[in-house]
Amino acid sequence: MSIVLFVIGQVLPYITVAVFVLGVGYRFLLWLKTPAPLKIPLTPGPKTPSGVIGRLAVEVATFRSLLYSGPWLWAGGWLTHFMLLLIIAGHLVGISTLGREFMPLGFTAEQSTRASALLGSVLGLAIIPPIIYLLGRRAWNERVRYASAFSDYFALALILLIVVTGDYMRLLSPIDLALVKSYVANLARLHPTPIPANGIFVAHFALVNVLLLYLPFSKLLHGVGMFFSPTLDQANDARERRHVNPWDRLEVS
Amino acid sequence: MSSPKLAEPDVTDKKSDQAQMGAVQTPKLAKSASANQKCYRAKKELLEACCLPEELPPDWKKRAVRKLDELRHKNRSLQVYLDICVKCGACSDKCQFFLGTGDPKNMPMARADLLRKVYKRYFTVGGKLFGKSAGAEDLTEAVLEDWYTYFYQCSECRRCAVFCPYGIDTAEITRAAREVMASVGVATKYVTEVVKKVYEIGNNLGIPEPAWRDSCEFLQDEIKEETGHDVLLPVNQEGAEVLLIPPSADLFANTDTMIGYAKLFYAAGISWTTSTYASEGGNFGLFLDYKNLKEVNKRIVEGARRLGVRRIVMGECGHAWRAAQAFTDTLNGPLDFLEKPRPQHICELTVELIRKGALKLDKSANDDVSVTYHDPCNTARAGGIIEEPREIIRAVVSDFREMPRDTIKERTFCCGAGGGLLTDEIMDLRMKGGRPRAEACRSTGANYLATPCAICKAQLPYVMDHYKVEVTVGGVTDLVSKALLLD
Repeated sequence: MSIVLFVIGQVLPYITVAVFVLGVGYRFLLWLKTPAPLKIPLTPGPKTPSGVIGRLAVEVATFRSLLYSGPWLWAGGWLTHFMLLLIIAGHLVGISTLGREFMPLGFTAEQSTRASALLGSVLGLAIIPPIIYLLGRRAWNERVRYASAFSDYFALALILLIVVTGDYMRLLSPIDLALVKSYVANLARLHPTPIPANGIFVAHFALVNVLLLYLPFSKLLHGVGMFFSPTLDQANDARERRHVNPWDRLEVS
Repeated sequence: MSSPKLAEPDVTDKKSDQAQMGAVQTPKLAKSASANQKCYRAKKELLEACCLPEELPPDWKKRAVRKLDELRHKNRSLQVYLDICVKCGACSDKCQFFLGTGDPKNMPMARADLLRKVYKRYFTVGGKLFGKSAGAEDLTEAVLEDWYTYFYQCSECRRCAVFCPYGIDTAEITRAAREVMASVGVATKYVTEVVKKVYEIGNNLGIPEPAWRDSCEFLQDEIKEETGHDVLLPVNQEGAEVLLIPPSADLFANTDTMIGYAKLFYAAGISWTTSTYASEGGNFGLFLDYKNLKEVNKRIVEGARRLGVRRIVMGECGHAWRAAQAFTDTLNGPLDFLEKPRPQHICELTVELIRKGALKLDKSANDDVSVTYHDPCNTARAGGIIEEPREIIRAVVSDFREMPRDTIKERTFCCGAGGGLLTDEIMDLRMKGGRPRAEACRSTGANYLATPCAICKAQLPYVMDHYKVEVTVGGVTDLVSKALLLD
């Protein structure tokens, strides 16, 4: 058992970070280097770079286009993403400050840690219904089911499992944040120490590693990829500015 | 009609997300429902004319996979869209061909998957290791057959892209799949035949110069009879201000539109001409591959250069407008030998003239019509011409009504025959694909459907007739023509 804990706790994280950084980096560079030969923005569309950024920003912040496909899909998608963002931010802030992130707002240490725990618990539970909705939709909506492979269910199920183990830890088997903080700090310092001996924490941590190892090879890259979508990131200015095709540059006479 | 028949799609019990009058209910999945809708294959002679292999080579699988690899490195849209689809299904009930047939391979994400599964199998870690469970599949004869069937059941209208959170444009996938197929000698008779006519004669209908001139003279006589004015339709006139590039169908089928152009230029005092060398707006190369897209478009630039005109105006044609407006400068430019290098859409020109007060208009001439407007897909979603036609119609017509919001403007339904699908052997598919537009039109009670696109004008009368919607299909310029006072 301890060899397993050693591998999970002191070897795997480094492999994960390397694979994640190199994997996402590779895909990012591939997209960056692949030329967009023609102007294909979706019209009506912004004519300037700042307009393009604006349109993308609105889409990312509000998932606007999903509204056209009904309130349920929009809610499932937007809530899952938005709450995930808050949860991840909460991990970074909450663990590094040991729950005292609200003290600058005038809370005492005790009040802050209670608020932090409450917020984490609420978000950790509230995110479950939208994830279940999305998973359920994939299984029950025949159109979505038809186009779904195992990998499509896997990604969402993995995230759900991570949330459930996190909730279990928070509510039934809490771990001292100071232990987590020092464990992670030691990993970062390249002086790994044994992983905290909380079974649920180990499971939660291992699953997160699996997710990060999986991401660079999967559709989860959409978070980065969408910014390379020519229909959204090109300005509608083909008549104002000459767009050159890098692999079919014309000899200007 | 020789098209095999399709069964009616079975609709779902619950109302679709946009349940309103004029909407079409989302069908239940009907596997292979439209698998028998196949375009006739292009034979040797046509493939040769388009510089394509004349038959499937014995090592076609290797060549096709290599071509796919080449294309994904040359087209960011292809590479990104193959990678980032999360199968959310927002697109799944937005394609008119799916709504009309229920065939799951007409759902945009599933159509893209026909290509994506091969991409995953040969070019991704997940696909190579995990095969089907990662959504990967080998390229086989059956897969090629599916590509041929379903990538020629997509009209490249981009409606799906509007509803996708990342703007994934299935038209880009379709274009790539068609280019891969073309590279191993697989293409449709209709598309290659049309492209061949452009190369040999100058336009999609194969109208030679003498016939072009004759028709122009004939229309001149018509206008003289109707208005008493000597309104000319100049041909190959050097030094004219405007080179008009209409869809060739305007000279033979949509003559009211052609007459409209002539009267418009006459009333505005603008000298203009058509070119028998560049007598086609509609670029069918767009439906085949990059090389042919470029070659067909070149004629417009060359035509303008030969005649020494000052600017180019595109007529009522969707694919023409997309190619001319978005691609010309990249493919065949720059256009700065023209005094005004930016091609203009006839509707843009008309709006300018109306706002300047250069046209004398009498709305009452159109009192017999209640008009609704169909946005051609390429004009709206790729060409940005959305408000201009509406402004024009409001200036010449008293009764103008819009179809439901999610069937117009950037969410317009394709007429069902774009992208090289306007061919009789798939008539049943065309009718099914046209149904959402028919129902939306019916819901307005209009008796005139205005649309500035020759494909739409060819397809929609059949569609409206098929669904018993009592409406006349005509151009926007036609309405201007009726209201225009030349005295």
